[in-house]
Amino acid sequence: MKAVGARLPRYDGVGHATGRTVYVDDVRVNGMLHTKALRSPHHHAGIKHLDTSRAERMPGVAAVVTHEDVPLLTYGHLSALGIPADEPLLGAEDVRYKGQPIAVVAAEDADAAQAGVEAVDVEFEERPALFDMRKSFDADAPRIHHWGAVYPHFEGEMNVRQIRKGDIERAFEQAYKIISGVYRPAAIEQMPLETQVGLSVPEPDGRFTIYSCTQALYFSMGVVAAHLQLPLNKFKFVGGTVGGGFGGKVDTATETLCTLLAQKSGRPVKWRWTREEEFLCSSTRAPWHMEIIDAVSADGWILGRKMLTLHDAGAYARFSPYGVTKHSFHHTGAYTIPNLHFDGYVCFTNRVPTSAMRGYGVTSVSFAVETHMSRIAEELGVDPLELRLKNANRIGDTSPNGITYTDPSTVDVLHAIAGATDADLPAPYRDASRDRRAGEWLPEHLVSQLSDSEGH
Amino acid sequence: MNIVVNGTNRAVESPPLTPLLHVLREELDVLSPKAGCENGGCGACTVLLDGAPRRSCLTAVGSIGGAAVTTVEGLGTPEDMSAVQRAFVHYCAAQCGFCTPGMILAATAYLERGGSTEVAAISEALAGHVCRCTGYLKIVDAVAAARDGDFDLSTTAESPHTTVLG
Amino acid sequence: MAIHIGRGIASIEYPTGMNQNGDPSQAWIKVKPDGRIDVFSGTSDIGNGAKTIQTQIVADTIGVPYDWVTFDNSNTDSSPVCTGTFASRATFVAGKAVLKAAQRVRERILEVAGLEMEISPEDLEIADGDVLAKGAPTKKLSVGDVAAAATWGHGELITGTGAQLNPYAAISDPTTGEVDGVPHAAISYAACAAEVEVNDETGEVRVTKLTQAYDVGKAINPALVEGQIEGGAIMGLGLGVLEDSYPYYPSAEHRGDDFGSYYNPSSADLPELHNIIIENPSADGPYGAKGIGEMSNNAQPAAIATAVHDAVGVWVTELPITPERVLRALDARAAGSGPRREGKHVIFDEELSINAVGSGKTWTAGP
Repeated sequence: MKAVGARLPRYDGVGHATGRTVYVDDVRVNGMLHTKALRSPHHHAGIKHLDTSRAERMPGVAAVVTHEDVPLLTYGHLSALGIPADEPLLGAEDVRYKGQPIAVVAAEDADAAQAGVEAVDVEFEERPALFDMRKSFDADAPRIHHWGAVYPHFEGEMNVRQIRKGDIERAFEQAYKIISGVYRPAAIEQMPLETQVGLSVPEPDGRFTIYSCTQALYFSMGVVAAHLQLPLNKFKFVGGTVGGGFGGKVDTATETLCTLLAQKSGRPVKWRWTREEEFLCSSTRAPWHMEIIDAVSADGWILGRKMLTLHDAGAYARFSPYGVTKHSFHHTGAYTIPNLHFDGYVCFTNRVPTSAMRGYGVTSVSFAVETHMSRIAEELGVDPLELRLKNANRIGDTSPNGITYTDPSTVDVLHAIAGATDADLPAPYRDASRDRRAGEWLPEHLVSQLSDSEGH
Repeated sequence: MNIVVNGTNRAVESPPLTPLLHVLREELDVLSPKAGCENGGCGACTVLLDGAPRRSCLTAVGSIGGAAVTTVEGLGTPEDMSAVQRAFVHYCAAQCGFCTPGMILAATAYLERGGSTEVAAISEALAGHVCRCTGYLKIVDAVAAARDGDFDLSTTAESPHTTVLG
Repeated sequence: MAIHIGRGIASIEYPTGMNQNGDPSQAWIKVKPDGRIDVFSGTSDIGNGAKTIQTQIVADTIGVPYDWVTFDNSNTDSSPVCTGTFASRATFVAGKAVLKAAQRVRERILEVAGLEMEISPEDLEIADGDVLAKGAPTKKLSVGDVAAAATWGHGELITGTGAQLNPYAAISDPTTGEVDGVPHAAISYAACAAEVEVNDETGEVRVTKLTQAYDVGKAINPALVEGQIEGGAIMGLGLGVLEDSYPYYPSAEHRGDDFGSYYNPSSADLPELHNIIIENPSADGPYGAKGIGEMSNNAQPAAIATAVHDAVGVWVTELPITPERVLRALDARAAGSGPRREGKHVIFDEELSINAVGSGKTWTAGP
């Protein structure tokens, strides 16, 4: 019997149904310490004074770690992609979001760890905070990030991710209508049922065995190794069975600090975030602000698009520049638009840093583009299915950055939806296909964008 | 004090106000109830007390008296699963699996008290159990079919909600 | 009070693999002396089913029953690099790595079998755990016997490694966004039709049906594909009408901090779902597969927003579409508001624009 294509049961299905699957919180190690974090109570503040000596003397407390204990405090998780580091593992001079960790305490039990946290002496100097990314560019906006209001390190040290294609001015001159809209999907929680959790066990040979809920074992191992400035062979990451991720468990939230505490105490250290921490202190999907201005013909062709995107990174960059770049590559959605002018900015605010979540970078633009398409259909009096079939990517069309589409299925999925909803498509739309444009499917404005080749 | 867990009498050292979830996981090493929120909101810690579903995170161990505690470990073993457990495997009703023990116990109690197999009734009955992975449909389908009991576990159920086009 | 029914559609595309590529996955496979197969992969299973999918790929690529294959992704000492389970890459990119490793193992099994059977490996094939002479299937040797011969006779471990890496596509011109290579592993496509009921007194939007079509290339396991489609549908529903980390945006106060104060979808929100799976094979994916995991929550919000407009005639373009937002939009429409029309310009949502809220930047249709 062939396995591929078969409706086989999950490899781990029986384990799940009988409660035998082992998640990180189910691992038992003798002598394990428990962790609590001192987190910023302010959205933005300077740290004037930090003294952990009283916490270290608390009963049951085995180790306290602050920024002074981290060999490489600030490490860029995507430095390999040219995104420089900006986020310290623990707040040092300042804190830029409510919930930002400043110190972690490992103790015999969670209550003792919490008592230790409360015994850390810390003094803040509150600073003005910024929450609306539309005000990032304002002259009187509070200065909240050492890089300025927006991320300044795109290629060529540009502060904007740009896409330019075709002749946008000509498209707007030729337009029958120019339709503008603003689209603002909210931040939401990844909300896996298993909260962030890690357990770091110091081994007699000097290695650390790190039980992790990460979505990316090697990536997280690289993050821990970089902060500790140790080679990869000092670590064994154990995981691969994760109680839900949805993007949030690419953050390596607990593993590094557990390992620093384990190193300092010589004991196994576990840190399981409470649900409240998961909601308030873990990253979210970003709020996005998108403004689309489309030049359209009377019969429903999208001639050109001007688009502004602001992405709320929260207090630090994390993966946001990657997300905005991905967003820019897909800002035409499933359609071919030959004339483009796109500007995307990563804005800093005093929110919890935003991070990856299912559909990263594109969920936002799918909402904006598709709602805008519906509005265009309404405004022109064109059937929304026909509008989409007309502009759909076809073989030989090119993407915003000039890549040839080789096998786009937009026409196929729209036909499937039309069939399932008993939509009555007129003949040319019923007979549309993914094939290379010709005849009525190749109006003058789409000629120059066509690729000579069938793609890579 | 002593409590009965999955048919076995277990001695408990923890003080009486300790949440049952903590006693099960940290003292008795019964690990299937999950600490999803420890605030009664997600249902991942659900156990049965004399067959009735309870959030073990909100239940003081001293309050349960002689009630029998059942977790999914006690419902069935990998070799001998209960009908609801088999239905969850056959309907692919678990993804990450973290909510699954609580879901299965809630569904077991629902069916044993004569719950309807109508989709809307099952959806309402399980609405206090959060699952972020599945979208709930396969869970509801599994519960609706569970009373039939006999499933071929070498494959999974065809979905009545799916059409495959070539 | 009246309940209004509305319908809306959306059509989307989504890349498989990390944007710009450059994200390796590796795997290695060894064969036990009785022919059973051990796969070592670094791919985390976050519920998506990576363990199942990669095991299926290995079983078919080598030619052995599914239950001969064990899958180990438990640790970094045994398993090689996988960039991770994100970017819809676990089936396509990581699956391709185990597929390549399995191809090497298959080749080596055939070479050893060739020595044992005194038949050229090109004239042999593997099916259901047996090595067979092509055209003469009575001449056969089980993979278990081949593995035993390798172990005890030839002094050899049958093993294979595989790696998948699409080269990084750099941005060659940051002013235009031009790239110097293909920036994705594949592209997947989907469309969604939403039906909603809108209560014009309470503003409540109830999503009653989602019909969704996905081109997944090849459904390596249709049950798991359905799991992604259905799970994504409810997540997209949450994004569309329920969820908000900052319900008083832009304020960062009063955030939901438990399941009672953060509005995530429950089973009571489950609409009727109709999944349509289309298999238009990708050129490069394992068995023609494409990624599906992430895109599954991308189409619903726009389809729902459009359906709300169809139902009650207002566009709500700030998510989620809460009762408050619906009622405010209905009030505004009753007061005569709508897009500003000027010449050929039709300008919606002016009050939300950076032009209205910020002072440091403007955004217009001008060049």
